[in-house]
Amino acid sequence: MKTVGVDVGSTTVKAVVVEDGKVGWQDYQRHNTRQAEKVVEFLARMEAEAGLTPGRDRVFFTGSGAGFLAPLVGGKLIQEVVAVAACVERLHPDVRFVSEIGGEDMKTIFFTATGTGPLPGDQVRSKQVYMQSACSGGTGTFIEKTARKLQVPGERLAAMPYEGMSLHKVSSKCGIFAETDANTLVKTGVPVEEIIASLFEAVVYQNLATLTKGNTPMPEVLLLGGPNLFFKGLQQAWRHHLAKLWVQRKVELPAGREPASLIHVPAEALYYACLGCVEIGAAEKPEIGVYQGADKLKWWVEVGQHEQKAKQGARGLIAGEGDLATFVSEYVRPVPDTPSRASHAGSVLIGCDFGSTTAKAVVLSDDRELLFSCYALSKGNPIEDAQSLFRQVREAGFTDVGALALTGYGKDLLKDVLGADVGVVETVAHATAALHFYPDADVICDVGGTDVKIMILRQGTVADFRLNSQCSSGNGAFLQGVAERYDIPLERYADRAFEAKAMPSLTMGCGVFLQSDIVNQQRKGWSAEEIMAALAAVLPVNVWIYAGQLQNLRAVGRKFVLQGGTHRNMAVVKAQVDFIRGKVPDAEVVLHPYSGEAGAIGAALCAADWTAHGRASGFRGFETIAALTYTSTTAAETVCKWCPINCTRTFIDVQLPGAKGRPWSKLPLAAGWERVISGNSCPKGLVEDVNEMRVVKAKLEEVKRDYPNVAEMVRKDAFRRVGAGAVAR
Amino acid sequence: MGLFTALGVDPRNVVFSSDTSEEQGRQFGKGRGTVDCCYPVKCISGHYGELLFGQRQKLDVLFSPMIYTLPSFMSGHVAKTLTCPRVMAAPENIKAGFIKERDVFAEAGIVYAAPFISLDEPRLVPKQTFEGLREVIPGLTYEETVKAVEAGYAALREFNARLRRKSREVLEWCAREDRPCLLVLARPYHMDPGIGHEIEVDLQAYGYPVLWVQYAPVDADLMAWAFGDDVRAGVIKSAFDIHDVWPSSYSSNTNEILWGAKFAARMPWIACVIRLSSYECGMDQPTYTPTQQIIERSGTLFFSFQDLDSTKPSGSVKIRVETITHYLQKYAADIIARKKAAAPPGCPLLAAPAEVSA
Repeated sequence: MKTVGVDVGSTTVKAVVVEDGKVGWQDYQRHNTRQAEKVVEFLARMEAEAGLTPGRDRVFFTGSGAGFLAPLVGGKLIQEVVAVAACVERLHPDVRFVSEIGGEDMKTIFFTATGTGPLPGDQVRSKQVYMQSACSGGTGTFIEKTARKLQVPGERLAAMPYEGMSLHKVSSKCGIFAETDANTLVKTGVPVEEIIASLFEAVVYQNLATLTKGNTPMPEVLLLGGPNLFFKGLQQAWRHHLAKLWVQRKVELPAGREPASLIHVPAEALYYACLGCVEIGAAEKPEIGVYQGADKLKWWVEVGQHEQKAKQGARGLIAGEGDLATFVSEYVRPVPDTPSRASHAGSVLIGCDFGSTTAKAVVLSDDRELLFSCYALSKGNPIEDAQSLFRQVREAGFTDVGALALTGYGKDLLKDVLGADVGVVETVAHATAALHFYPDADVICDVGGTDVKIMILRQGTVADFRLNSQCSSGNGAFLQGVAERYDIPLERYADRAFEAKAMPSLTMGCGVFLQSDIVNQQRKGWSAEEIMAALAAVLPVNVWIYAGQLQNLRAVGRKFVLQGGTHRNMAVVKAQVDFIRGKVPDAEVVLHPYSGEAGAIGAALCAADWTAHGRASGFRGFETIAALTYTSTTAAETVCKWCPINCTRTFIDVQLPGAKGRPWSKLPLAAGWERVISGNSCPKGLVEDVNEMRVVKAKLEEVKRDYPNVAEMVRKDAFRRVGAGAVAR
Repeated sequence: MGLFTALGVDPRNVVFSSDTSEEQGRQFGKGRGTVDCCYPVKCISGHYGELLFGQRQKLDVLFSPMIYTLPSFMSGHVAKTLTCPRVMAAPENIKAGFIKERDVFAEAGIVYAAPFISLDEPRLVPKQTFEGLREVIPGLTYEETVKAVEAGYAALREFNARLRRKSREVLEWCAREDRPCLLVLARPYHMDPGIGHEIEVDLQAYGYPVLWVQYAPVDADLMAWAFGDDVRAGVIKSAFDIHDVWPSSYSSNTNEILWGAKFAARMPWIACVIRLSSYECGMDQPTYTPTQQIIERSGTLFFSFQDLDSTKPSGSVKIRVETITHYLQKYAADIIARKKAAAPPGCPLLAAPAEVSA
């Protein structure tokens, strides 16, 4: 009689056939989300190549994908950690700690000797098990996803080292954050080898941080699972960290053993769960787990899953002709023309929005009518972007500027250079623009290409907001990516998605897992338009619940303003309207008429408030801006030293009458010049160096003296050691 | 300090762990976590670790009392002044991570003392302290403990009084100059730079004085002015009675936060309230809506920073701070004027002599 152990994991299927304690057949393969198909293939091969016989031999399953497969072939399911532990206990009596890293999960097992058993030399060990499978941080996907992005082929990745590499800060918590960090590192010229080494570091850190729970991983140690087996660098990272930890915690090592020799990566590391299944199966009653053949499973692959598809998702984005007609009449409007010529005499208000990818400007009349708008694709030098905008404004015929306001990333940099009267934070700009058109708005939802902003308004202010610019779930770029994959232009997205009569339901959340979910649905036979409809339908869930963390929409209000580029896609708008009305039945959902320019309009409106006090604008004038003299410096002195990323910044020095200069700088700047810093990847880099920090700090201390903070006094005095009231003795 | 100095410990031999920081947690607390808990409790692993491994001076005792009740200016006016059970039990929870495999305290030659203290019941405290310290300090007598506890309370009273006086001075200055100030509603641990991330300092830098509810001025004249009408109308029994807004007044910090909301609503120069709260705080959860409503109904600006954790979300804090200061600049003068018009006449803050300056 043969016993089969099958491990259906998140990325691969592994199987062993054992007879009389010997492994007669073993294999593993990636299933590319076709778990059931791969299992059918494996069973057929085992029948042909290893003599697996229905009615005689027994099969035991384990792994995250095995749940519904096992009963279809008569197999019994064994919990994966239990299986791994059983195998380790048999093969490695000296092991005290196991880390198994899988494609989409990670586990740790701690063994503690608790006494001796009835037989001489028989050790009784208790075990403590921890597992995590909800997040991509710390798993194999975490490394592979970023490696793919960096175009590192599998074989090279496997051989890349950890030892001797300089490490960089990479978010260890989420695969998507890590990818962003890796992108930033690439941009600043960090070699790929160092980024990969940093990923190994992040994975080990994440495993130790979340899955040890106060236990010290004691020798000997076993590393299992694909990533631990294949990635040499990951093994090195484990050896480095465990050895360090043992020194720190004063763990006594067996005499004469090097720490590295106490960490094992067995050649069969992949098959431990399978072998554990066989081990546990041997103790089961003989009628359990008897192989019934693969016919039922084949039926499920060919017919069953498609029947399930028909049952699921009976509804598309559109519930019939009438629904579409009502929606179109309510929401689909021609894009309002922005008057492209000035028919306006007198002073105007200018609002500019300097974003990370584009810069936009709008011109309003003093009675707050929109007269003109223009944009410039950002070229990385904010001065040139500004010059381009003001050239366009001037060519449109505007000369008399009553006030200028800036918003967006560039607002602090350019305020003095352009002579802007007001710098407005993005949230306020968006809220002001929305309240101008819809004074009773409660919530603004701005979905751009790479970020999601939700602003909750109360008392005419932004009382709360959610910004998400680091996670791809919920933003427009993802929709665009999928449309491109189907070769459908973005403008046609809505029409195609509306054609779908039914759609699968995709899982909310992490973009990494959404991608594999799409592949999974595709192979179940869902068509392009059905998938696109489903993706639009899941977007509101990702925006509000996953990215925005807002479970209770009713609590935030009833009037919702949708804006941002992604809401030009009507399929998204339809899904948003249905989603919001589903949560808040009396909700009013409106689409901002100038969704892309809302930030700039809001800034211009703030400029209008500013003029209400009758002040004269500090605007430097079109000529001055066009003729700005500036020099750019990118050198060793401009490299940012605030964190190990060491961004290569550019200092753009602009000649500006009345500017104070920077005499304390390493690159001193004479009076009459102003410095603009660009090329930094975080706000910290806007401060030049420690010298500037000192200048800023000194100014701050002065303010703090004038405006006290009770907590500062507490911090200073509460833990003072000497002289605190020595009363009685 | 008052307690230990009175027990004859040289002040130089009392060492406090430093402010919470991620670095501290990484260096001294890594892998010592036991049950998953909120950050203000979790971070204590780093503090213990620092005291055990990070000292130049050899320490003999690690003192980390389990404080069950807190002395509060609201004592007697509310049902109870309990601490958060998670915080109270934190010493046990954190200790577990240090004795799980081996007794790290014993190895370092440090006696671990975590007496259970009902700090709001002064008559119990000497006994509890004595029980907790008699093994630690050989020869300690009960009488000595009584005196030392008294000294401790005296130091605490002096400290509180000084800070309340300072808060009052700030409010008097605001009243005289008609300038806005901010009130922070948070738990005391949010004053720790590693837990509250000094968010209020970022606002202070824009030129707004900052008060904390824990050290609000509670002088009789001010209380009579702010709450007198409600007491006379029978809505509340005293200035510190909060049963009108929060019937289950058992948690000391929660009580003070709710009271702070009422205080801010009545104080014209508190133009804005900042709420800080840590990730997964079950004690704060039910208080969000009532505090927000009390404050907003009075026309006061209200902004909250929730889900604070180990890392300061600098980018989002910066945007939030700029948002808040924008609206403060725009609305503060109107808010003060409106609240003044609605307030009872004769505010004692305005009657104060002008020579004290903030």
